[in-house]
Amino acid sequence: MKTYLLASLTLLLACCYVGIVGITFAADSDAGEMEMLIFPENYKPMPVSNGGTISGVVKFEGDKPEMKVLEITKDPKVCGATEKYDESVVIGEDNALKNTIVYLIDITEGKDFDKEAKLEIDQKECKFTPHVQIVPVGQRLTMLNNDRVNHNVHIFSIINTPVNKQQTKTRKKMPLAGVKKAEGPVAVKCDIHGWMSAWIAYVPHPYFAVTNEKGEFTLEDVPAGKYKLGYWHETCGTNNESPAEVTVEAGGTVTQEFTLKLK
Amino acid sequence: MRIRTIALLFLLFGILAVFSLAYAQNAPEASERGKEVYENSCAHCHGVEGRGDGSAAENLLPKPRDFTRGLYKIRSTEAGQLPTDQDLFDIITEGMPGSSMPEWETALSTNDRWEVVAYIKTFYDGFKENENPPKQITLEGKISYSPESVDIGKELYVELGCVECHGNVGRGDGTSAPTLTDSWGFQTWPANLTQGWTFRGGPDTEDIFKRFIGGIAGSPMPAFEGDSFLNFGLTSEESKRLIELENKDEMTEAEEEESGKFYEKMDAAVDIALTIKEGGEVSAAEIQTYNDAMKIVYEKSWHLANYVKSLMPEKQPEPAIGNNVLRSQYVQGELPDFDDPTWETFKARYFPLVGQVVIEPRQFNPTIDGVHVKSFYNDTEVAFLFVWDDRTHTTADETDETTGKPLEDALAVQFPVKVPQGPTAPKPYFLWGGRLPVYLWHWKASMPEQVTELTAKGINNAEAQEVQGELEVKSDYTDGQYKLWVKRALKTEDKKDLQLDTGVFVPIAFSAWDGSNGDVDTKLTMTSWYTFVLEPVPSSRRFIYPPLIALLSIGLLFGLRAFVQRRNTEEV
Ligand code: HEC
Ligand code: HEC
Repeated sequence: MKTYLLASLTLLLACCYVGIVGITFAADSDAGEMEMLIFPENYKPMPVSNGGTISGVVKFEGDKPEMKVLEITKDPKVCGATEKYDESVVIGEDNALKNTIVYLIDITEGKDFDKEAKLEIDQKECKFTPHVQIVPVGQRLTMLNNDRVNHNVHIFSIINTPVNKQQTKTRKKMPLAGVKKAEGPVAVKCDIHGWMSAWIAYVPHPYFAVTNEKGEFTLEDVPAGKYKLGYWHETCGTNNESPAEVTVEAGGTVTQEFTLKLK
Repeated sequence: MRIRTIALLFLLFGILAVFSLAYAQNAPEASERGKEVYENSCAHCHGVEGRGDGSAAENLLPKPRDFTRGLYKIRSTEAGQLPTDQDLFDIITEGMPGSSMPEWETALSTNDRWEVVAYIKTFYDGFKENENPPKQITLEGKISYSPESVDIGKELYVELGCVECHGNVGRGDGTSAPTLTDSWGFQTWPANLTQGWTFRGGPDTEDIFKRFIGGIAGSPMPAFEGDSFLNFGLTSEESKRLIELENKDEMTEAEEEESGKFYEKMDAAVDIALTIKEGGEVSAAEIQTYNDAMKIVYEKSWHLANYVKSLMPEKQPEPAIGNNVLRSQYVQGELPDFDDPTWETFKARYFPLVGQVVIEPRQFNPTIDGVHVKSFYNDTEVAFLFVWDDRTHTTADETDETTGKPLEDALAVQFPVKVPQGPTAPKPYFLWGGRLPVYLWHWKASMPEQVTELTAKGINNAEAQEVQGELEVKSDYTDGQYKLWVKRALKTEDKKDLQLDTGVFVPIAFSAWDGSNGDVDTKLTMTSWYTFVLEPVPSSRRFIYPPLIALLSIGLLFGLRAFVQRRNTEEV
């Protein structure tokens, strides 16, 4: 009897072992490709009163990479009117790091999206502005063409359906269908003007901010509580491994600084 | 003891069970047979796990498809949709021209091809999640080919911006062509629309129609689907008017208002199209608006497809073999100059080029399809016109990363130094000779008015001749096509040159370099030996010759008689 018990125990253990190995392998093969944002499984919008604020600055540390001047290989009259720079790392005064996404990783309840907010990416002088855009799941992003040249909007989604549409020179506004799932950030390109580059994050809740040229970010109306605060930067990576912990008090403000290095 | 054995058996069984369970979860529909076929026939290119990283993948461009992202180029389905099973079956059966993807109709049974379709679908979960069959592009209402349709299509080709990538006349030489990459970051070129036989999905009007409406997923080629089509929601007249207004430098107030109305109408139609795409609710009236708008899109798309179809010959030209040799035609007097319309009266011979893969560095991914050649000669000279497509004009302003050598477009025409006597006599080795030397004309895009005469005893053993003959050279590059004109005397003083005689069959071969494709030294495209002949002089000459010969022989006869008579008299 005792032996039977032992046998079944071993069996169980063996099963667990195989299971664990299987899971670890699966996780390994998924990670390592590109670092992504982390989204909560579910998010429930609700009215937030007396929420707190998380704000701060993202700074760059290390040797500043030189801003590369982009080679304008096409439509020079429109695209080359002013000099353009590669925006994969934009460092302002005091090492301020622009275009970093700062967000709450594990929030499951909080305010709803501002449905009135304009969701646009402008194509002007063959450059996307903003360089990083947050787009709520299900909402339409409108692509503007202020160039009177042909652009093609190519969004390299993997979870959602990839998009590649021509926005002809006379098409000043081209809204895109809302997406079904949170994803990103995904790259945006114009193949016609190969240097044009931007990022879109399709997000399930509104606690996302992108740092400005001073490296500043603000998340408002956060329900009181303890949260993990994440960041994502196109060249400097993420803190997915060890996100910052912040405690928000009702009506209070917490500050958090991040210092990022080149990967 | 017995109990322990049972326990051990249990354990083994348990592990096995877990493994098979795990396997079943990964690949529920795939049969063993599908896996077997895949691993035997496809995995060395597409990789065991379908990531496009098989052992043969390294040298290939385009890369074997990575099946894990669900991106398929050749589909009958709308933009953003997965292919149907039939699409996959068809592409596996027919292969993808212009790439290394072979056809499998001969090597695999119908059943095996279906099994492998089921198996490659397991590499991408999206196939499982989609219960609804993908939406197919309707081919109803096809507008048949006519010059009028082609004309409408031609305008759309420019207005929709196909021209940006495919170029003015479709040779894949648009100004965006050199900077395109695919979704995996590898360089890719727009199709040369004048070479339908290189299309991955076939050159039929229906194929072309599906390609630009559905897009070519994984490539930079956009999908010209409904709502992103030019002026979606406007009638053809309204669309024309709007383009007219847009092209004005300044609009009057009335015109502003007019165009504003058009934009409102377009916005409304686009809104309906997006709502449908998002799965939202639309009224019957809205569906009607949408259908009307789509009808116009599809009509225009057929015109565009007809235009693209008009750019290519009906089928790939036959290679110049058998009776199809390159025959230089005799003309009296001056040979036609570079831009003389007389060249149009001569049907070119076509010599398909392939990548040189015998000697390092090799070219596995050639971009030059072939060279078209014409030739005329007169009593003293011969002239050739060589025409070939190359998407970029590269003139040695870039250098090769590994060798540091300048990259540039070039062409070499190769002949033996000594013409083999008779069809069975040995020719020099096709790769620029060996024991038997070859004589070459080497033209480079950086020196467009010059040809260098080379003598070679092997591809790495070529030298410029000390005495450079007097060759006349002219060339031009327009809209993705080179034209090179070369004129030389039939006979030269130089012993290392080829000497040309009427009616003698001369081996001829070609090598070409596309600088922007990294072609340099032995990394090139080439042909093996073909045949060239100065076509013996036609009738008018035959008319002069026989009487001349007759006269001569009579003269000879008289002479002989006189001679004999004299001898006779002397002897007497
Ligand atoms: C010699 C290498 C090679 C072999 C062997 C090969 N393929 Fe491919 N295959 C390719 C390449 C290269 C492409 C991509 C071509 C392109 O993108 O233009 C491709 C593309 C495909 C595609 C994508 C079609 C589309 O619409 O995008 C499918 C499906 C496919 N192969 C199936 C198979 C199957 C099944 C087998 C085995 C029976 C197989 N291939 C064997 C090289 C290969
Ligand atoms: C942004 C660049 C771009 C634009 C704009 C573009 N194409 Fe393409 N096109 C490509 C590329 C790249 C390929 C090669 C795709 C491949 O096989 O990977 C291609 C391939 C094709 C093919 C060959 C399909 C096959 O089966 O191989 C056709 C036909 C075609 N394009 C038609 C059009 C038409 C018509 C338009 C305008 C409505 C257009 N393209 C606009 C880049 C473009």
